[in-house]
Amino acid sequence: MPSDPHIAAHPIPEQSGAAERRAFIANNLLSALPRKDYRRMLTGLEPVNLSFGEVLYQPGEAISHVYFPGIALVSLMTLVDGRLTLEVGVVGCEGMVGLPVALGIGVSPFRALVQGAGGALRMKSNYFVKELRQSIALQRALQRYTHALMAQFAQTAACNRFHVVEERLARWLLMTRDRVQSTHFRLTQEFLSHMLGVRRVGVTKAAGHLQQRRLIEYSRGNIRIVDQAGLEAACCSCYQASRQWRSQSS
Amino acid sequence: MLTPDLPRRNHLLAALSEDDYIRLLPHLEGIELTKGQVVAESGVSQGYVYFPTSSLFALLWPMEDGAQIQTGLVGNEGVAGIGLCFGTLGIPGRTVVQSRGYAYRLAAAVLKAEFDRRGLLQHLLLRFTQVLLIQMAQSAVCREHHSIEQQLCRWLLLTLDGSPSDPLAQANDSIADMPDGRRAGMTEAANQLKAGEVLQYRDGKIALDRPKLELRVCDCYSIGKVELDGLFPRKPVSAHQPA
Repeated sequence: MPSDPHIAAHPIPEQSGAAERRAFIANNLLSALPRKDYRRMLTGLEPVNLSFGEVLYQPGEAISHVYFPGIALVSLMTLVDGRLTLEVGVVGCEGMVGLPVALGIGVSPFRALVQGAGGALRMKSNYFVKELRQSIALQRALQRYTHALMAQFAQTAACNRFHVVEERLARWLLMTRDRVQSTHFRLTQEFLSHMLGVRRVGVTKAAGHLQQRRLIEYSRGNIRIVDQAGLEAACCSCYQASRQWRSQSS
Repeated sequence: MLTPDLPRRNHLLAALSEDDYIRLLPHLEGIELTKGQVVAESGVSQGYVYFPTSSLFALLWPMEDGAQIQTGLVGNEGVAGIGLCFGTLGIPGRTVVQSRGYAYRLAAAVLKAEFDRRGLLQHLLLRFTQVLLIQMAQSAVCREHHSIEQQLCRWLLLTLDGSPSDPLAQANDSIADMPDGRRAGMTEAANQLKAGEVLQYRDGKIALDRPKLELRVCDCYSIGKVELDGLFPRKPVSAHQPA
C-alpha cells in the first residue's frame, strides 16, 4: 500500500490504467466493482483527507456525503442519554460510511467519528443514490456490507456483555491493526474509554496489564503491538469471529 | 389452534400499495408458529421470510461457548428472516420464534423477484433493515449503560409494539427468557416494576401499564422507535376489516 494515504485514495484520471488500479486498492468495496461501474462513479468521487477527531455526521443529521475510507478509520458511535457515546462499529477500507443512504434513509442514526486519520473517497448522497440505482454490483456489494455491519453490531453487543475489558481492549487493538495495517498507531485513553464503554481507569488498568505481559507498549496515546501472536491469544473469541464475518462479506 | 389473522395486521404488508399487495397475496402462506422454532440460522438458506401478525421473533447472537444474547425483536411491525434480500447470506445470527402466534410467510424465490422489482416492497425491506441495525447497535449500548430494570422496560415495550393482539401472553414469555438469562437481576427488576404498579400479575398473566413503562425506559427504546414510526406511511388495518 502506498505510504501517502491521500495519494492512495486519490482517483486518478481514467486514461491512466496503472494509477487507476492503485486507486482501486484504497477501498475494497469500490475495488470489487466491475471496471465500467467504477469508471462511471469516478466523476462523483472526491478524494478527501479525514483528520483525527473529525465528526462526519451527528445522530439525526442529514447525510450529505457517503465516504469510502482508504486508510482512514471511522467509528460509529451511538448516543446514550444524550451525551455519552459508545462505539458500536468501525468502518475501514472494507466498507462505506453512510450506509443509511443505501437503505433509503437520508439521516444518520449514529455519530461517525474519524479515529484513524487518512484518505477517503466521498460522494454526494444524491449522486450516490443515482449510481446505486444503476449498478447491480454496487447494490450487491452494499448488501453484503450491510450484513457484515449487522454482524459487527451483534458481536459488539455480545462482547460487551460477556468479555472482560482486557480481552475487549486486545480485540480492539487487533481490529485497529488490521484496518490501519500497522502495529503502531495513536489512540488516546479517553478515546479508548469511549470505544470500550468503560471508565478511563479501567482502560489504564487493562492497558497496563497488557504491557506487563509484554504484548504492547503504551505511552501517552502511542500504541505499539510488540507481540502480535500473544495479543491474538489474549483477546476474546470475538476477534476471530469478526474476521470471519468480514472475509465473508468481501 | 389459533384463529388466522389477516395478512394486513402486519404493518409492512399493510404499507404496500393495493397492486403490490394483490400480487403478493397468492404467495402468502399463513402459518402458526410455536415458541422455539428456528426460522433462520446464519449461513444456512432459510427458504422463507416471515411477516408476523401475532407471533414474535427474537434475533439472537450465539457465542462459541453456547451462550447467546438477544440483539433484536421483530413482531407485526416488521419482517423476520430478511437476510434473504442479501443474496446468499442470511441475517447474521439466529432468528427464533420467541412467542407463539400467527405469521405469513413468503418463499425465497418470490421475495427475490419482488425485491428486484425495486418497488415499494424493496424500499420497505431496506428501511426495515435500518431499524434492525439500530436495534442491534442499541442493544450493545443498553447493556453497558442502563440498569436491568430499564433494559427490561425496553424489551417489554418492544414486545408491546411487536404484537398488540396478545401482549400479555407475549410479555409473559419475554420475562421468562430475557434479557440473556440474568435471572436473579431480572427477578429483582420485575419485582421493582410490580412495586411501582408498572407490571401486575393477574390470573397467572402479566398486565402492563404502557405509560408507566415509557416513563422508566431508557433512550435506547425511543431511538429505534423514531426510525420505525417514520417507516410506514399507512396504518395497518384492524382485525375487523376485510383483507
